[in-house]
Amino acid sequence: MILKFDPRASSRQTGNVPDDEIAMSCRVRLARNLSGERFPDWATERDRDRVFAKVCEALRAEAPRLRVESLAACDELERDILCEAHLISKDLVERAAGGGVAYAEDGSVCVMINEEDHLRIQGFAPGCGMEAAWRAADALDTQLERHLDYAWTPRLGYLTACPSNVGTGLRASAMVHLLGLRLLDEVEAVVRGLERMRLLVRGIGGEGSEAAGQIYQVSNMDTLGVDEAGIVGRVSRIVAEVVRQERNARIRLVRETPLVLIDCLARSLSILQNARLLATSEALEFLSALRLGASVGLVTRLKVADVDKLIVLMQPGHLQRIEGADLDSDARDEMRATMLRRKVAAVRLKV
Amino acid sequence: MKCELCHKAEAETAIRKVVDGEEQELYVCRTCAKADVEEGKPRTETAPSSSDDVSPLSALPLMGMILDAAFEIVGRAAATQAEPSCPVCGITRAEYRKASRLGCPACYEAFANELDGAILDMHRSRQHVGKVPAKAHAARRRQQLVDELDAAVKGQRYEEAIALRDRLRKLDESGDRTEAGGPA
Repeated sequence: MILKFDPRASSRQTGNVPDDEIAMSCRVRLARNLSGERFPDWATERDRDRVFAKVCEALRAEAPRLRVESLAACDELERDILCEAHLISKDLVERAAGGGVAYAEDGSVCVMINEEDHLRIQGFAPGCGMEAAWRAADALDTQLERHLDYAWTPRLGYLTACPSNVGTGLRASAMVHLLGLRLLDEVEAVVRGLERMRLLVRGIGGEGSEAAGQIYQVSNMDTLGVDEAGIVGRVSRIVAEVVRQERNARIRLVRETPLVLIDCLARSLSILQNARLLATSEALEFLSALRLGASVGLVTRLKVADVDKLIVLMQPGHLQRIEGADLDSDARDEMRATMLRRKVAAVRLKV
Repeated sequence: MKCELCHKAEAETAIRKVVDGEEQELYVCRTCAKADVEEGKPRTETAPSSSDDVSPLSALPLMGMILDAAFEIVGRAAATQAEPSCPVCGITRAEYRKASRLGCPACYEAFANELDGAILDMHRSRQHVGKVPAKAHAARRRQQLVDELDAAVKGQRYEEAIALRDRLRKLDESGDRTEAGGPA
């Protein structure tokens, strides 16, 4: 096979893949609980309603710009959409009663109410902007504590439902796309290295989920004995190193094993352009490949940001909102395949 | 927790009892525990125990008194060991272990003995060094000044003590709004 693509001609292969094409987004969350109240798992519905009311009052006083939703008042589709946008967890969707969410329309901050803890204050930022995500969450936390009595002790810090979060209650996480390392069979070594450095590595959906599409969530394990700046700084530095390794992997793929990469892209694009039924997980695998292709300049008429939008739009809740109807799983797979076929119809490989 | 036999009184001790051919551990109240012991011993009417002229029936109240006394010493300790629980939310150790989630903030105190080791294993630390809520920060700062004042008085460093007293007064009059731990 003669490659029309000259790896040396691509500016991307010199290492210019922007950080945010590898580190997709980051989040800092603070777990907080109210003094004298049972944690949500052991609380009665009345207890949870009381906590919800107290938190809403604090939000009204300090952060009126946030939109507050009671999950019990949301229909299933609205809950799914919030979950797919990563504003709330699957755990909170399942709890529903007494659960709630408050979020900024720009997606910079969000508070989950009555999830595993009474409050989970989250700051979000694109790429590696973990410091910005922390600032956003911390500022909201400082505002809310004027109105709420947090469970806190000098020795253990913020008391949480699970002792694994006690102390700062802070979890700093970054979502990283590591398909390059996967194609070189190096991702396991990187994951093992991260775990040895006491970082948690999970799939895209958080705890217990598979790393579908080779998108991993990397976060700190320790929340006690180190302060917030220390945690955020350490996770940021380690994520930056992972980004560097993935960037190197992509350069090596293009230079040393272009056929492996192009084969992966060609198969993925063929399926996306021809399939009539696509489940979420398999669509994510193929979109992940196109994301890598767009990032190294091997795919035309498609940008990394376009793929990121498609990854959200092809989720079950978003698909049903586009269609304006409840769809069963088979109907969704058909609609997903049709939508993706149209969106990638003009995409070509640069080979 | 209610007695697992009468379901009325609070359980105070654990007994082992054969139910449907299977030995089970039951948490029971004092009355049911006593009834169980009496049920298990030989029937006094049919089992004269000695050649003493004391009627076997007259030993029953004595047995009751001994049981009561033993109950106070052993029974409560056994109940505590068997099923420690949080005095605020009532969650038992077995319950929180099963769910891997504590019941309320007070559980950290109630289960401190076993949580201490678990927390050290999880975080390699036992001491919070991060953010302090503004309200707690003010209280902590005041306590620090009180401790320093106490030490200065004991050490007869009176000038330092006067300065500390004045700082305490000022703090009490103005309140403290200092916050700490946020991003710089």
